This record gives sequence, structure tokens and C-alpha cells, in this order.
Amino acid sequence: MTPPASNPTGAPNPTGAQNPTGTPQPAGAPKPAGGRLVVGIDLGTTNSLAAVRTGKQARVLRDQQGEPLIPSVVCFHPDGSTLVGRAAKALRLQHPERTVFSAKRLIGRSASECRADARNLPYRVVAGERDLVRVQIGARQWSPEAISALVLQQVKQTAEQALGQPIRDAVITVPAWFDDAQRQATKDAAALAGLECLRILNEPTAAALAYGIDGSKDGTVLVYDLGGGTFDVSVLRIDDGVFRVLATAGDTHLGGDDFDALLAERILQALPKGPHADDPYVLQAVRSAAEGLKIRLSSEATAALELDLGAHGTARLTVARTEFEAAIAPLVQRTLDCVQKALLDAAVRLEQLDEVVLVGGSTRVPLVRARLAAFTGRTPHTEVDPDLAVALGAAIQADVLAGNDRSLLLLDVIPLSLGIETLGGAVQKLILRNSTIPTSRTEEFSTGVDQQTSVDLAIYQGERELATDCRLLGRFKLRGIPPMPAGLPRIAVTFLVDADGVLRVTAREQRTGVEAGIQVVPSYGLSRDEVKRMMLDAIEHAQQDYVAREAIEVRNKAEAMVRGTRSALRLAELPPDQTYAVHKALKQLDALLTAKADAAALKAGCEALTKVTATIADDVIGAAVAKALRDEQAAATPPETPR
Amino acid sequence: MSPSGLASPSGTPDPFTVFGLPHTLDLDETALERRYLRLSRECHPDLHRAADTADCMAVLQLAAEINDAWRVLRDPWLRTKALLELLRPGVLQQHQKLDPGFLAEALELAEEVAFASGAAVPQLRERLTTALAADFAAVRTAVLQGDLDTAARRCHAANYHKKALADLDLKS
Repeated sequence: MTPPASNPTGAPNPTGAQNPTGTPQPAGAPKPAGGRLVVGIDLGTTNSLAAVRTGKQARVLRDQQGEPLIPSVVCFHPDGSTLVGRAAKALRLQHPERTVFSAKRLIGRSASECRADARNLPYRVVAGERDLVRVQIGARQWSPEAISALVLQQVKQTAEQALGQPIRDAVITVPAWFDDAQRQATKDAAALAGLECLRILNEPTAAALAYGIDGSKDGTVLVYDLGGGTFDVSVLRIDDGVFRVLATAGDTHLGGDDFDALLAERILQALPKGPHADDPYVLQAVRSAAEGLKIRLSSEATAALELDLGAHGTARLTVARTEFEAAIAPLVQRTLDCVQKALLDAAVRLEQLDEVVLVGGSTRVPLVRARLAAFTGRTPHTEVDPDLAVALGAAIQADVLAGNDRSLLLLDVIPLSLGIETLGGAVQKLILRNSTIPTSRTEEFSTGVDQQTSVDLAIYQGERELATDCRLLGRFKLRGIPPMPAGLPRIAVTFLVDADGVLRVTAREQRTGVEAGIQVVPSYGLSRDEVKRMMLDAIEHAQQDYVAREAIEVRNKAEAMVRGTRSALRLAELPPDQTYAVHKALKQLDALLTAKADAAALKAGCEALTKVTATIADDVIGAAVAKALRDEQAAATPPETPR
Repeated sequence: MSPSGLASPSGTPDPFTVFGLPHTLDLDETALERRYLRLSRECHPDLHRAADTADCMAVLQLAAEINDAWRVLRDPWLRTKALLELLRPGVLQQHQKLDPGFLAEALELAEEVAFASGAAVPQLRERLTTALAADFAAVRTAVLQGDLDTAARRCHAANYHKKALADLDLKS
């Protein structure tokens, strides 16, 4: 076997991912047998979280407040700071146009594809180069990958805090229905966050793992996963610890957000007439209110709302659950159509299903549960918290990949067929949807012109017959074909879909054995070079950030020392020679501060002052200085701000 | 173009060989599935994380071969076509053209499927299932007798019955 000419997953690991915590390991910290700790991360549309498995027990990792869910929200504050998670979510009304949520809906897609989504978002979504989707914050454009990376970084930090040790390796979940571009973009986000993504795992498969942890119960399981922005359904067969996905179906644009949007529409209608929809503040306030209404309608028959929007007026309305259910019924029906399709593809009849499992926060909506129960004739399982199941399952797969558990094996499938464009714009399918991965297919190609040395291939993903109806994943250029008469070269191109569901292409000219070079131009997401550049940028920025922070810290320390020593001098009675020495060192440090000297000079000044104060009558001045310094430092330490 | 999934490019072992099975149509499907699960456990990259890139690729390739072989072997028709190609490469392509009498019959059948409704649907399904079973029995006999030409022709003919059955399933 030949090594891949281009390794699309071979992005270097940032060296900036050094040990971030010097904290000692708490007593309960896991020490996996393989010496590796791999966490499972659910990178959700609405919330993200991490989980880890120790022994046979998977548990979610919580922050210091005991919260496992980190809102997948990033706020680029006008003061220049970047906030992630709850702190960012809290600012979405204050800075709606600078607070980015649901980046998962944008990742791995083109700007044109995101146009419909963008209309409902309070922040600006624009087209970057190659029609790539970008979020415009002030003068700067952000890729969805970079925003997801910030969320992942927050998840990583929280997990590291909870575990008391650094993390590098992770299993990250994606909707089963994510295509190649969306999977690759998620891997890129992980690399940007300083994480090594050992596996892209399908969310419903992860959830199935969380339910059938030891895999001891054989059977056929249907996993229905309705999240904030995406819907997935998978049919799995469990045999003696082997979890085999038979088929999967879904919709990357169907979820609780869409339920919210229908309610938001009602709220907007209840407002006095006016151009409300263009105001990011109104959009965000209405969206939040809609979400609240939806949650209340899960337990109440009616929900009333009074939303005061200042100059835009007040919306007063009452929504009955029956009205809400009538509005979302077509969306729920769409999910059931997917269920039907998955069962058909899996060749499983309804009566052959042993279990039905519910995952995703939106399965809390009573209509969803009722319709699925009626359709399948089974009472769906809801024992595992639908918000946590995916992360818990990812932790189990992470443990398998860490080499700690050899009893489990996951066999997943590719959700959409892969093919190449042939003459006339048709797509020749090479790998059919629901093929178990890894899977590969080798095809032979030739040249059409004498002495031709390169061949272009366009790769499509989708089920339709015509290229224009499928998604162009990228163009591959086979280079370095030995010059021969037309039709003579025999170029064997191998399309291999790895266990992440990501395509790798290799090519070899059969007559000469020459490896053809492959140049990939992805239609969505980042090119390999862009990922590399962004990672270098991130490391450079980290360096700059570190230097800047150090300078501030040293300066604060020097100022505190000057003030502390001055007040100590007033308190203590010193012999004149010592007073002179302290005054001299103090003056020097003060001069450095006034001159805005750099960190190194300030550090030296501090040390000089410490030296003189330390050598003089310890009990006289030392104690006074030390106390004054402690007080100063306690007062000067800024409250911890999230990055 | 070779039929989907049956192209055996140089260097790739045939599905029977991947599973360590003799070149035969008669496979015990339960045993086949057990063998697939065992092979997967033995060779899947998740349980065998290789140290370097070249090894990784080899493990991945092997796992892909097992999955792809399973896809062919578990489906009686794909298995049959793979066997025919093994016994005489090109035999399927050679007999792609079907006799006009049969094609007319197939067209009629497609029409019948398109207009079927009510009680006619299960009846038609029954008929098509029987026809497919007869096709398979005929192919099997032909292969055993070494008459690969007849087997290949019947394989292509069976496609029409399969297509009709799939269309019928889509209606319900």
C-alpha cells in the first residue's frame, strides 16, 4: 500500500498546546491503563460539554459552579476581550451583533447556502473569498471554524480544570448527517483549539453507546436525536459488544431553533407595525422570549408573554400548546419521514425494533415524544439526560480509542453517497450511502489528449443523479502523469472514507507506478494551508497575549511594591543608612514605572528593591512591608475574567 | 463501466478471499455475519491504533477491505456477480444486452407496478418475490453446471424484477 499523496487530516498539532495547568492532580483524577486520557466532547449547536470515562463509569465534566453545559456562544466584546460560554450568552442582548451562536449551522458550508439562516441571525453573516461563510464583527471576519475553536477551547479549559490535568486528545461528535466538508471543518476547529481529534463520532451512535454501555444486551435500536439545529436518526444493531450502524438519515437544518423561529414569528406579529426584523436587539430579545415560551409550553397548556421592547413597543400574547403543536407538526412529520427512510435503508421493519432512544434537548417537546411513540409503537427511552447522552457516549468511544476497553467496537456508516462528475454533468456514485466505514473504492481513469500530464476530478456528495443537484466537495487535480499518447495512462484513483467519515484520495499511474500528486481545492471550509496559517497565527497570538499579560502583571506588582514600601517606611523607624538604601531603590523603581520601562527592567527594579528591604531589620520593616504588600495585592488583583 | 462495486482493481483481494471462504454461492448467512464481526474486532483501526502513518493507512485499508467484502457477500446478488466476475472476468459485461422478448415483458411489468393499487399490490409483490427466487435458483444451477453465460444473462434479467419490487415498495 502506498502512503497517501496528500493527507487531508495531517494538520500539524500546535505546539502552543502546552501544559496549561500547573495544578497538582486531585486524588480522584483518572489514570487510564494506557496512560492516555481521551475526553469525549459534544460540540453542540446550542451547548457544548465534555465527558470522560474512568473504569466503566462515564461522567460529564462540570465547571466550578457545577454546570456541565457550556453555551456554544462567543461574544467579541467592544472592549477587545473575547468571552465564551455563559459569560458570552449573558451579553447577547447587550451586544447582539457581536455575539455569535449556532456557528454549527454555518460550519463547512458556503455563504450562499447559509443565506436563509443568516436572515434570522442578529450578527452579520457575509461571504468571504471563494464564497466561504464568514461572520463579520466590526472590521474583522471570523470563520465558523475559528468560532467553534473558541468554544472548544472553553470546553477544554473547563475539562482540564475538572480533571486537574492537561488534555490533548478528544473524540468530537457531529450530526450523523454531516457531510465530508462539515466533518473536515469540525476537525479543523479542533486543531485550531489545540486538540487532537482522534475521532469524529456521529451523535446518535454516541447516544446509543451511552444507553447500551456494556453492550451486553443484543438488539436493534433506533436513536432519534433532535437537537437545537440538527436532526439525526440512526438504526443500530448491537451484537456482543459490536455496535453496528445499519443506516442513518437526517437533516442538518431541522431542530429546536426552528421551533423557536415559529414562535418568534408570532411574537413579531404581536408587535406594533414597524421594521423590527432588521434590529439585532429586537431579533435577539424575541428569539430569547420564543425559547422561553417553547420551554413553558412543554409543561403548560398555555403560556402568556409580555415583552417590552422599549421604542419598538410591547408584544402581548398568549400561545396555547395546541397552537404551538399545530405550527411545528410539519417539522415533526419531516423527522418521521427520515425515520421511515432510515428503517427502509436498514432493511429493518418497525416490529423488529427492540428499543427506541431519545436524545437532544428538543425531544423534551411533548408532541415529538407522542408522535414518535405512535409511529414506532414503542415507549421511547429517556433515562439518560438528553443533553448529556451524546457526550457520555463520546467518552466511552474515547476510552476505547485510548486503548482502555477492548470489549466495544463501533461500526458506523457514511451518511451520503460519494461520486465523481462524469461527462455530461452526471454523477457516478463510487461509495453508496450507508456503507460501513472505513470503505474504499478504486477507479481507473485515463487522459483525453496526447502528452496530457494532469487530470481534473470533481468529487460530489449527495444522492441525486446530476452534479448540479449534489454538493461539490472539492476539485482534485492529479498531477505528474507521465506524458503518453491519449488514453494510454491508467491512473488508479483510490477513494477511501476513513472511520471519521472523511474522504482521502490517493492516485497512482498503473503502467509506470508513478504516484500522481493530488491537489485539493475544497469548495467549503478551509484549505490545508489556511488551517496551518491560522494555527501559526493562533500560536503567535498566544505568545503576544502572554507577553502582554506578563508586562501588565509585572507593572502591577512594581506599583504595589512602591506604594507598599512607601507606607512601610512611614510606619517603621529605620537607621538613616538603611532608609537611604531603601529610598534609593524605591526611587529607581518609581523612575522605571514613570518611564514605562519594559517588563524585564521592571522585574530587575523589583528585585533590587526586594534585596534592600530583605537585608534590613527583618522584623522591623519586613513584616510591615509584607503586610502592606499583601493588602495591596489583594486589592489590586482583578477579578478573574474569562478569555 | 463494470457493475457497481464489483470492479476488482489489481492488488485488491476478492471478497471471498478477504473472508477466507471458498469461491462458492452457498454461504451460511449466520456464520458469515459472525465471521464479519470477528474480523472487524481483529482488524478495526479503533482497536489497533498503529504507531506511524504508513501502518495506520495499512490498518485502515484492511478494515475497508473487510467492510467492502461484507457488503458484497451478504447480498446474494452482489455475491453472485462477484463470483461470476472471478470465474470469468468480463462475463457480465459480455451479456449485458438482453433478448428483446424479455425486455418487452419487463416493460409491461414496470407498467403494472406503476398502476398497481389496493389488493393488487401484495399480489404483485408475491409474484415478483417468486420470480426473483426463481431467477436466483436458475443462476445457482447454471453456475454449478459451469454455464456462466446463462448465469450472467439471468443475473441481468433479475435486475428488472428487483427494480420492479423496489418501485412497488416505494409506493407503500
